[in-house]
Amino acid sequence: MLQAIATPGSLAEAHAALSRLPDARLLAGGTALVPVLNYGTDDFTSLVSLRHVGLTGVNVKDGVVTIGAATTLAELEDERALAFLRAALDAIASPTIRNMATVGGNLFVKQPYGDFAACLIALGASAMVSNGTTARVEAIETVVSSGLKQGEIVTHVSFPLPEAGSFKFAKAGRKALNAAAIVTVAAVVETAAGRVTRVSIGLGGVAKSAVRAASVEKALSGNSFDRVSVERAAKEATRDIDPSDDAYASAWYRARVAPVHIRRALIGE
Amino acid sequence: MKHSVVSLTINGTERQMLVAPGTTLVEVLRENQGLAGTRRGCDQGACGTCTVLVDGKAMMSCLLPVETIEGARVETIEGLTPMQGLHPIQEAFLEGFATQCGFCTSGMIMATAGLLARNPNPSRDDAVRAISGNICRCTGYEAIIDAVLDAAKRMQAAQRSEAA
Amino acid sequence: MEKIDTSFFTKEREAELSVVGESVQRADARGHVTGQTQFYEDVTFPNTLHLKMVRSTRHHALIKDINTDAAMNVPGVVRVLTHKDVPNNWYTILKLIGVGPDDEPVLPEDRVLFMGEQICAVLAETPQAALEGARRVVVDYEDLPPIFDVEEAMTSTPFKQHGTNYFVYEGHNCRRIRFGDVDKGFAAADHIIEHRYESAPIEHAPTETTGCTAKPEGNGRVTVYSNTQALYFTLDNMALILGVPFNKLRLVGGTVGGGFGGKVDVIVEPIAALGAMLTNRPVKYAYSRAEEMQVSSPRASERLYIKDGVMNDGRIVARKITLYVDAGAYCRHSTYGTTKAAAHMPGPYSIPNVHVDAYCVYTNRTPSSAMRGFGVTIGDFALESQMDQVARYLNMDPMELRLINAYRDGDMKAHRKKVEGAALVEVIQAAAHQTGTTLAPRFAKMSSFEREA
Repeated sequence: MLQAIATPGSLAEAHAALSRLPDARLLAGGTALVPVLNYGTDDFTSLVSLRHVGLTGVNVKDGVVTIGAATTLAELEDERALAFLRAALDAIASPTIRNMATVGGNLFVKQPYGDFAACLIALGASAMVSNGTTARVEAIETVVSSGLKQGEIVTHVSFPLPEAGSFKFAKAGRKALNAAAIVTVAAVVETAAGRVTRVSIGLGGVAKSAVRAASVEKALSGNSFDRVSVERAAKEATRDIDPSDDAYASAWYRARVAPVHIRRALIGE
Repeated sequence: MKHSVVSLTINGTERQMLVAPGTTLVEVLRENQGLAGTRRGCDQGACGTCTVLVDGKAMMSCLLPVETIEGARVETIEGLTPMQGLHPIQEAFLEGFATQCGFCTSGMIMATAGLLARNPNPSRDDAVRAISGNICRCTGYEAIIDAVLDAAKRMQAAQRSEAA
Repeated sequence: MEKIDTSFFTKEREAELSVVGESVQRADARGHVTGQTQFYEDVTFPNTLHLKMVRSTRHHALIKDINTDAAMNVPGVVRVLTHKDVPNNWYTILKLIGVGPDDEPVLPEDRVLFMGEQICAVLAETPQAALEGARRVVVDYEDLPPIFDVEEAMTSTPFKQHGTNYFVYEGHNCRRIRFGDVDKGFAAADHIIEHRYESAPIEHAPTETTGCTAKPEGNGRVTVYSNTQALYFTLDNMALILGVPFNKLRLVGGTVGGGFGGKVDVIVEPIAALGAMLTNRPVKYAYSRAEEMQVSSPRASERLYIKDGVMNDGRIVARKITLYVDAGAYCRHSTYGTTKAAAHMPGPYSIPNVHVDAYCVYTNRTPSSAMRGFGVTIGDFALESQMDQVARYLNMDPMELRLINAYRDGDMKAHRKKVEGAALVEVIQAAAHQTGTTLAPRFAKMSSFEREA
């Protein structure tokens, strides 16, 4: 049963609370953790809330976007510089949930949720991780696959602004809106003279955490950006994914359709 | 387990309450404040029946431990209801037959209030998106979507007549 | 909206129909839009105890031991209720109209027959303490093999202590209809068309979960605030289970946050009332959303085999139906639902040779029960899918195939009841009209009231 919620007013206070409450979980928007709490759990007896530690806001400077980890997904939707992300944000849960769910929290929700992490992987984002005394920079895919050590907090994520029109997104779910991912595809593709000069692809719904489609990237890189080439590269995704069965789709189905959705995300057909 | 005092401004009045750790806003509203119009449907953020406005934004009150929103401004269906008559959103739901069992209605209306505060002139698509976190098992949604759009028109008309 | 066309009913009855087709405000809408409608959970009492159920984590197992010591040590836990506390430990919903047998214990004694079956109830000062108490109860199981398939269950060793894996209807292992001679019909038919149809269980998922609060009144009576759809079923069954006269119980309800048949069973009220009687405090028992999804009775899954003997001109001359209703672990309303399913066969068609075997089968799945037209809905899906299959096979218009076989007033149905008030022909004609389909003259002229010469 929960014994305490700490509500620190700064990052330093948050670290102090974490060291005071050794089994504490970090509570950000609460959309994934409070449901667990409401049904009763023996996994933790205390929480440290990040709602008031001041890690909110979006900063765009010299082509680099830095987002406070406690910024809500709804706040990103209002950010003009991030207009290219609106379709992706719109595909995540509902507006009521996006008013609460945070960028940092999205890195730690269980699949098949956490589509924003797939976007951040595609954008080549990194996370700033604080342990109270020092801060380190970690690639998003490392954070989502390995998690953090007890006592660490993601304070910010940052990524270079992609070229106009280079960000691609597609999501397959059981409903048009407010659906968990069957397959989520986020990508940044830059081309010159019909050839792919830079490609970066993040996938959701198809592994224990959001993953980079490294084999697809390798197959596409330097090649022509047309249907045949994209289709051939997308098939390589089976090397990058390790899907599971859940209430929304079978592992078999996810593996079967992942290349299709990669193609649709990249070339829109 | 130590209880703590939390203060919230609920429907315009500042309230203080003593709560156990992890007490959610929906529990406080229903059991501590007697505001039972906010319904509890899942405690999982999955159904939207407990939607209220927190600092003007539609949120699910079952997902908010109140200690983490100290000082917030909360508006519920009771606060939306004027002393005389109905709010335009309520009129639109009433006259548009957008209720059946009524259990989702408070949440639908508060989600609509959240939408119209941001976007007074929503498209049908905007309306569909705004209630996409709210489940209704009776109506099939069409009457509710129509009511959301009708509510927007009624509120615009009310504002025009106020301005005139 | 199209106005109701009353011309079809001129021979039927005088009707004002002054409300149908008009907009009339719902009596409860104002309460709904202001949030003032009072659902059961909106009525609260000081000193209420919260009840959480310990549920089976097995599909089929013997209960070797239930240890509640650790649960009783959780601060706030007041009492644990087991089967030993229940005066008459049988839940048999239709007992008062003579439908048995007693097959479902209110709380199980020595075995669980489905995953999520309630085992014992923890009463505590707060919901959180009740949840923790329920987590601390240790149940020692001895697993037994579960059965999930209806046809497998029909031939398996019975898994209940008494009886068979199917309900016995008047000495038969199924509800039967025999009309004409299907074998002769099949022999005379130009074509035999046979298909299998199957459905999964369907959960009602009402936005308000099942629940109640039982309040002892201090004069030996208990008032129960409930969201049941069936106040009198609930009153009767509570009285039977608790062993008290009906007048000791009062039910307050009628406001239901979505039911769809899912709130017809009497599961939470007897246990909450028992808790109230044994502690002399109000007791609230509300399903969590997860419980609602897992254990509230869904619509039964059904499996139907339909075999039709069909003539080249579209007449169906023989129809044989084998129908299985998956009742889950216990009867509840499924015995009745299966009878309804049989009564609905062979659909609204006049077929001279009909043979129906409708089985109500027990498996180790969540007990199924009422849901919007249960017994009929899945049967209709199968029957009308079959009609489309037959039409496709004969390369015939599906409306015309149905008109050829439609029952008319005065026809003898397979259940030996004469058809009255048939309207299928007119409904299809209206559907054709509204979809811009032109029917051949002989179909456009058809009537339910008389057969053409």
